[in-house]
Amino acid sequence: MNFKLLSILLMVLVFRFYFFNQDQAQYTDGQSVKFEATILSQPQVIGSRQVFTANHKNQKIKIITSLLPEINYGDYTYISGPIRILPQAGGLQPRALEERSYGASKISNKNNGVLMYFPDIEIKNNSSNIFQSGLKSINLIRQKIILLFSKTLPLPSSSLLLGIIFGIKEQMPKNFTNNLRTSGVFHVIAASGMNVTLVGGFISALFAFFLKRQIAIGMSILGIVFYAVLAGLEPSIIRASIMGVLVFSAQILGRQSLAINGLSLAGFAMLFIDPTLISDVGFQLSFAATLGILYVKPLFGGKDGVLSEVLTTVAAQIATLPILLANFGTYSLYSILANGLVLWTVPILMMVGGVGAILSLILMPLGQMLIYLCYPLLLYFENVVNFFGKIGGVISVKVFPWEFVAGYYCLLVSVLIVSKRRA
Amino acid sequence: MKKYFLIVSILLFMLGCILAYQNITYNDKKLHVVICDVGQGDGIFIRTPKGIDIVIDGGPDSRIIDCISKHMPFWDKTIEMVVLSHPHADHLTGLINLSKYYTIETFVTENLKNNTVGYRALLQLLVSRKIKVNYIYAGDKFKIKDGVVFEIVGPSKKFLQETSPNGEIGDTGELASLGSILTYGKFSMLLTGDSQASELGEALKFKNLSISVLQVPHHGSKFGLNQEILEVLIPKLAVISVGKDNKYGHPNPITLDLLKQSGSRTLRTDQVGDIEVISDGNSFSTKN
Repeated sequence: MNFKLLSILLMVLVFRFYFFNQDQAQYTDGQSVKFEATILSQPQVIGSRQVFTANHKNQKIKIITSLLPEINYGDYTYISGPIRILPQAGGLQPRALEERSYGASKISNKNNGVLMYFPDIEIKNNSSNIFQSGLKSINLIRQKIILLFSKTLPLPSSSLLLGIIFGIKEQMPKNFTNNLRTSGVFHVIAASGMNVTLVGGFISALFAFFLKRQIAIGMSILGIVFYAVLAGLEPSIIRASIMGVLVFSAQILGRQSLAINGLSLAGFAMLFIDPTLISDVGFQLSFAATLGILYVKPLFGGKDGVLSEVLTTVAAQIATLPILLANFGTYSLYSILANGLVLWTVPILMMVGGVGAILSLILMPLGQMLIYLCYPLLLYFENVVNFFGKIGGVISVKVFPWEFVAGYYCLLVSVLIVSKRRA
Repeated sequence: MKKYFLIVSILLFMLGCILAYQNITYNDKKLHVVICDVGQGDGIFIRTPKGIDIVIDGGPDSRIIDCISKHMPFWDKTIEMVVLSHPHADHLTGLINLSKYYTIETFVTENLKNNTVGYRALLQLLVSRKIKVNYIYAGDKFKIKDGVVFEIVGPSKKFLQETSPNGEIGDTGELASLGSILTYGKFSMLLTGDSQASELGEALKFKNLSISVLQVPHHGSKFGLNQEILEVLIPKLAVISVGKDNKYGHPNPITLDLLKQSGSRTLRTDQVGDIEVISDGNSFSTKN
C-alpha cells in the first residue's frame, strides 16, 4: 500500500477518534435515559430473558429484558429506563462480576459495563423508511431459513449448519458451543472470508452464463451485501464483505487488487464509522487472523489440500494467540488436529446447505433434501468436536498482561521483516 | 462436475446407512420414557412403540431440546402432543423454545392461568402457530393405537374450583398440577408434575393400584408425598427431576427417607443425568 495514503488515512482516524470521544455519552449509575435505536443484532434468548445491545449516542448499552415483547434483528425501538454501570476493573474482572450479579448464566463475552435491566421497550416499525423495511424483510428471510433448518435437522446439527453457512449462533446449545470452544474450532461458525468468497463466486459463476460479465460481477456484489445483512452484521462478516466487494469491484474496473489494500480499507471504513470496534474482540480477531493468513502463511511455502487448510489455521492462530489469551485466557492444545479433521467438510457443507437454503425458499421439499444430505457430515463434525471437547486439553492463563501481548507482536513483526528480507 | 457427483453419491450412501441405523434404534417397538435432566424443573419425553411422541413440561430453559433430539430419529420433527402440567416457569419455559424446533400437533394443559410474561409468551406463540389450547381434567383418557394409554388422574374440576377459585395458579399450598398415569401392558408410570400430597391423595382415593414407576412430585418436596400414597402405589422405581444445589433444598430428606423405607429404588437427574425407562409391556429396564 502507498505509504503516503496510509499515513493520511491514519491521521483521519486519529481525528475521528478524538471527536468521537468528545461526543460519547457519559452516564452515571441510576441515571434515567430515553432513546430510539435500531436493533442491529438478533437478541439472545437465555432461559426466560432476552439480551441484546442498543446504541445510544455512540455508546453500546446492553439490555436485559423479559421474553415479551419479542424483539428481532432490524426492529426500531423506543427504550427508556435507568442505566446500571458495572465497575470496570480491567481484564477479566467485569465479566466475572456480571456473572455473579446475574446468576450463573453467561450473558455475553464483551466487556461492556453499561447495562439496562428490564427497561420499557416499545417497538415502532416504520415501513416507509427504506433502510428499516429492507432490514426487516431480510430478517424475515433469515427467520424463515432458521425455522426451516431447525425443523429439518435435529439439534445440534441444525445449529451447526446455520453457524457454518450464515454465522447464525443463537440456536446453538450451550454445551455444544463450549465443546466448539474447547476444541478450538469455534471460528468455523463465524461467517467470514470463506463464506463471502463462496457467495460472490457462486453468484458470478451462475449469472455469467447468461449475463454480461460486468453485470454478473455487479450481481455478486449485491449478493455479498445481502448475505452480510442476512448473516447479522458481525465485525468478521463486515470485514470480509468489504474486502469481497473491493475484490469484485476491482474486477469490474479491470484492475488487480491486493488483498492487503482491501484489508486496510475495510479496517479504515469500519473504524471510521464505529470507533468503539477497536476494543471489540471479534474485530481484533478477524483482522489479526486475516493478517496472519496474508503474511505468516506464505512463510510455510505453498501446500495443497488438507495440509494447506491446516497451515491456514496455524497461521491464523499464530497471529491471534495473544488476543485469545488476553480475552478468554485459554488455548486448546488439540485445536490444530481438530481443525485438520473437520475443516475439509466446511466448503462442502456451505455449498450443499447454502444451495439447499436458497432452493427451499422456492420449493421447500427439494431444499430439504439437500439439507438432509448435509446430515452425515454434520454428525461426523459433531462427533469430532464432542470428542475433543470431552478430552479437554485446554491451557488456561489467569492473567495475561498487555506487556506480553505487545512483546509477542514485536517479535512476530521482526521475524516477518527478517524473513521477507531473505526472500 | 464429476467431483460433485462423487461427493453427492458418497453423502447419499452415508445418509442411507444412518437412516437404516436410526430406524432400528428408535423404532424398536418399545415404550420409552425419558426424564430429561433439565436442571431444577420438569421435562419428560415419551416415545410410544409406534413412534408417537409426547412431551410433558419443558423445563426452565432449552436443555430439553437436546434431550429430545437424542431420543428421536433425525427425520421425525413432529411432537404429537405436548402436555403442560401447570403454568410455572420451571415447567413451561422450555416449551417456548421447543415449538421453534418441532411441529406441535396438540397442546393440552389444566384450566389454570398465570399472569407471568413466560406464560403469556407461550400462549402468544401457540396462537401464532395456530395450535389450540385444550383444557383437560381428571378422567380424560388418550388411547394410542399401539396399546399405550395416557390417563389424567387429577385435578378434577371440583378440586380446581376449590383450590383456585379465581382461575389462577397459586405459588405453594393451593397449587394444583396435572397428574397422569401412563400404561402399556403390565407397565405403568405415575407422572405428577408439582402435585401436592393432598391433591394426589384425592386423585388416587378411588383407585387401588400399584405402579411400576413413580415420578416423585414437586422435585422431591416434602409436601408432595406421604406414606399413605406410597403404600397404595408401591413403586419399584422412583425418579426425581431436580437440579443440583437448588435454592429450595429439593429433594427433601424426609421424602428420600420415605422412599427408602418403601423399598423402591430411587434415581435422581441431578445425580445420573437423563433417566430413560424402557418397557416392552411386561417388564421395564432403565438406562442413564
